[in-house]
Amino acid sequence: MLGYIVRRLALMLITLFGISVIIFVLLRIVPGNIVDILFDAAGFVDPADKANLERELGLDTSIVVQYLHWIGGLLHGDLGYSYVSEKPALDEILPRIPITARLAGLALLFSTVIGVPLGVLSALKQGSRMDYVLRAISLSGLSLPPFWLGLLILMASVSLFGTMPIYTPNPQSFGQAVAIYCVPALAVGFRSAALVMRITRSSMLEVLRQDYIRTARAKGAPEATVNFRHALKNGMLPIITVIGIEAAFLFGGLIVTETVFNIPGIARFLVEAIRWRDYPIVQNLVMFCALIVVLANFTVDMLYAVFDPRIRYND
Amino acid sequence: MRSMRMLGGVILSLLMASDAGFAAEKQGGVLRIYHRDSPASASIHEEATYSVNVPFMAVFNNLVIYKQDAAQNSLESIVPELATSWAWSDDRKKLTFKLHPGVKWHDGQPFTAADVKCTFDMVMGKSQQKFRKNPRKAWFDQVDNITTNGDLEVSFNLKRPQPALLALLASGYSPIYPCHVSPAQMRTHPIGTGPFKFVEFKANESIKLTRNTDYWKKGLPHLDGIEYTIIPNRSTAILGFVSGKFDMTFPTEVSIPLLKDVKTQDPKAICVVAPNNVSTNIIVNRASPPFDNPDIRMAMELALDRKAFVSILFEGQADIGGTMLPQPDGIWGMPKDMLESIPGYGSDVKANREKARKLMEKAGYGPNKHLAVKVSTRNIAVYRDPAVILIDQLKDIYIDGELDVVETANWFSKIARKDYALGLNLTGNAVDDPDQAFYENYSCNSERNYTKYCNPAIEKLFDQQSLETDLTKRKKLVWEIDKQLQEDVARPIIYHSRTGTCWQPYVKGVTVMVNSSYNGYRYENLWFDK
Amino acid sequence: MNAINYDAELRRAGAHATRGWRKYAFMAGRNMLGTIGLVITVAFVLAAIFANVIARFDPLEVDSAHALAAPGAKYWLGTDAFGRDVFSRIIHGARISLAVGLGSTALGGSIGVVIGLASGYLSGWVDLVFQRVIDILQALPLLVLALVMTAALGPSLQNVIIAIAIPLVPSVARVIRANTLALRELPFVEAANAIGMSQMRIVFRHILPNTLAPLIVLATAQLGSAILTEASLSFLGLGIPEPYPSWGRMLSESAAEYVRTAPWLVIFPGIAISLAVFGTNLFGDALRDILDPRQRG
Repeated sequence: MLGYIVRRLALMLITLFGISVIIFVLLRIVPGNIVDILFDAAGFVDPADKANLERELGLDTSIVVQYLHWIGGLLHGDLGYSYVSEKPALDEILPRIPITARLAGLALLFSTVIGVPLGVLSALKQGSRMDYVLRAISLSGLSLPPFWLGLLILMASVSLFGTMPIYTPNPQSFGQAVAIYCVPALAVGFRSAALVMRITRSSMLEVLRQDYIRTARAKGAPEATVNFRHALKNGMLPIITVIGIEAAFLFGGLIVTETVFNIPGIARFLVEAIRWRDYPIVQNLVMFCALIVVLANFTVDMLYAVFDPRIRYND
Repeated sequence: MRSMRMLGGVILSLLMASDAGFAAEKQGGVLRIYHRDSPASASIHEEATYSVNVPFMAVFNNLVIYKQDAAQNSLESIVPELATSWAWSDDRKKLTFKLHPGVKWHDGQPFTAADVKCTFDMVMGKSQQKFRKNPRKAWFDQVDNITTNGDLEVSFNLKRPQPALLALLASGYSPIYPCHVSPAQMRTHPIGTGPFKFVEFKANESIKLTRNTDYWKKGLPHLDGIEYTIIPNRSTAILGFVSGKFDMTFPTEVSIPLLKDVKTQDPKAICVVAPNNVSTNIIVNRASPPFDNPDIRMAMELALDRKAFVSILFEGQADIGGTMLPQPDGIWGMPKDMLESIPGYGSDVKANREKARKLMEKAGYGPNKHLAVKVSTRNIAVYRDPAVILIDQLKDIYIDGELDVVETANWFSKIARKDYALGLNLTGNAVDDPDQAFYENYSCNSERNYTKYCNPAIEKLFDQQSLETDLTKRKKLVWEIDKQLQEDVARPIIYHSRTGTCWQPYVKGVTVMVNSSYNGYRYENLWFDK
Repeated sequence: MNAINYDAELRRAGAHATRGWRKYAFMAGRNMLGTIGLVITVAFVLAAIFANVIARFDPLEVDSAHALAAPGAKYWLGTDAFGRDVFSRIIHGARISLAVGLGSTALGGSIGVVIGLASGYLSGWVDLVFQRVIDILQALPLLVLALVMTAALGPSLQNVIIAIAIPLVPSVARVIRANTLALRELPFVEAANAIGMSQMRIVFRHILPNTLAPLIVLATAQLGSAILTEASLSFLGLGIPEPYPSWGRMLSESAAEYVRTAPWLVIFPGIAISLAVFGTNLFGDALRDILDPRQRG
């Protein structure tokens, strides 16, 4: 078991390292850097000023040197400085994380609370009309663009309530706080809910076919016990997998949803930083995102190992 | 008799009260505005967009300023601010300002003449401390040096007379910076002498200002503070205004099509439509084919149907003119008959396009041989939309335009490299003065002369009008220059946009300027009537 | 578990025709959802191919007189701020979405197949290296990687296709690799080796065809993701540039401005995207049921 964990950790580190190199290089093959953008509003690029600025920001050294500089700083907790705001990148990123975390957490909550029961229901009633309807709904959840869903919700809220949830950092009432977070979380979570529903359904079906379920039924165990004790517990594995995968899916949905609802989280910040070519922010945010995904996968792997002993020894 | 006099007295005092204005203004309240994008920094001197002027002009004072409640900026509407008075020397090469005593910076330090010298030495690039970006260095090309005489007097010594210098100093782009604060700090936490103090600037989120309780103009400002919420999505922002979350829209941000929407959703809102002195124009690469051929340049100019642009994008509410903003809102616009005598500006679009097609045929193109051209522009709606229309119009004269959308990061380097054939560009004019418009955009050595149009004869005329003190004579000169620039197809001006600003009726003291969108945001006179 | 034996089923059901179109009609009836998906997908493809014929107006033509017209007899789905017919733009948009979807799925699939085959067949350090590369590519969310790549390469049709293709590679490579590993052990490969067949021939003539089934299933799922990702990129302004009528861009800023005055600008492009993805997903699900029921869900 220990060997398994150690191997997984080592793989994680290599993956993170690889990502850091890729993102670093990708950003720098982009034509036009932060200096060009900063000068953009001025309406021209003065070569002397530009050279000065590049020197100041360390953009005139070689790529390798810049990379080592960044990684070195990273290991100390120094994420560099934002080119745009000239504040430490950490100061820019940290306050935005809780906002996105709240949204992501709520979205995952919705997706589990909605997706799992509906998936179970769909599996139990396989082949029935309800199953078809639920399958169609889950498929539509995967097909709807999250930003369109957000726009529709905005439109509906304006038509129905005459107003819409605009983000403020200090909500005046609980109701307002709920509106600010839950509405976008629903828009993002719908897709996740659909995915969870599908996977739950398929894993439940798989499990229901198993012999021991037939045995339990033959023994006369009550249907509820059969379903919940045996089926669900053993079907948990793929569900956990998908919740882990959702960590990745979710970020994409968060990016567009935060843009539509104007929420200052790190997902929207990533897009802005890319537009501004604010390398320190983009690099660190992408690394952060990768870290989350990698950690989620790691956790899923560990949970797998806990639930399914076969995995521990076969890897 | 006595009752008559008493009645007269009552009426008189009533009249005086409603007229006085000052007595009626109430103190208090925080103005909530939305901002259309996040400024790159808080330092006005280092930026070149009014996204910075709007929030941060309230933090500073100028030497002199355009009267904030006069809608049209002109040399006559310039009033003292930090300077109590000014005087030109006899040879008109020295402008001396006497300064207001007892003014303090927001951090308590006293304001002196040295601060004025520091500020403009930095702008001219003559000081140790340097700005990271210095877009208006060229504004002060005629200034030789700045001298101080004690703490309360400062003089600008010019190489040659330039009456327009006062206009440049009155602009929102010319605040006075403190000597004792570094440019880096001015970018993130600016210190000024103005009616509002800087509190915080959270990039992409908000900008907060609070009342300067020690403001040297007693009794001002009336508001307790100003808060900007940054909302790049225009639809969301307008929804916020209409649902009462904001007291005012971002100045000039309500486009004509959205104006109707605002008025229907919020009928009591007050909206004013005015030119923002931003012209949409075409930059033409004269150095390489095909537009090195003057016939093809002229054909393109003749093909333009400016009225169509205006009707599609502004529902008819925009102005057509030359380089200078057209009258009556602009001071220097050409008279109508002069404008219409320029090729391409006449109302007979069909005839113009006939002529254009003949020119194209002369150059070897025709119905069976089209000219393929890339029309480059920035990836923002206000640039893209006119580009789309331009391409559509060029089809009529055998030119097949292809839209080449360029990311913001690459736009100016691309232009500087002359890596374009036609570019759709927007030019904002900070001050309605030919000195600013002509030199910046058409002078041989100006960095912003993207087309590299170089005509030494016309530059002599630039200097001539710059020296001229008589307004009528100067106007005539300016018109001649403007006409010639358009006939040379230096940088065809398509239209001067008009946009709207809206605010709730309880916000008083708002004046939308009609010939500049960079100068009207001191906001010390705003108050809430509630 | 083997594929459903339709011939046996048909005979048991008493059907007489087990060949030709009746067989397919029967299969279609059995898989109602899949058929719907197929119909939608085919409609989508036809719309893309015959866009010029179906669209009633030029999608790029500016006609200010009729800007923001509500849906009606003349403009079936209304017009946008430039007076361009929304219906025509949606039909032409199908072309763009299909091009990007197919292009990126095909490109990503090809690269993935090559990597997967090499990785699974050659093993050793080739496998290790490719595995790590795949892990790295998979650690980033699809949209994030696509965003950075479009920012890196610039906004153009080709670049968007590449930017979306690269993140699709890992899944394909994984599946192909797993299948290759399994197939490699089979006796016929050993036999082929014994008679001296070249490695390349073994891989391409014997192994690859047997991995096609799961590949096709994966590809149809990825098609949906690709279309959605392109829409998201265009919505953020970092995807297909003007003047190509991309559905995603039709929904971005300009349309969002008219959310209350011209809701048709928001509703119809969104329906188009959803329908296209829905159709391909349904069809993909049905294909999976038929070709590889092990993955059924």
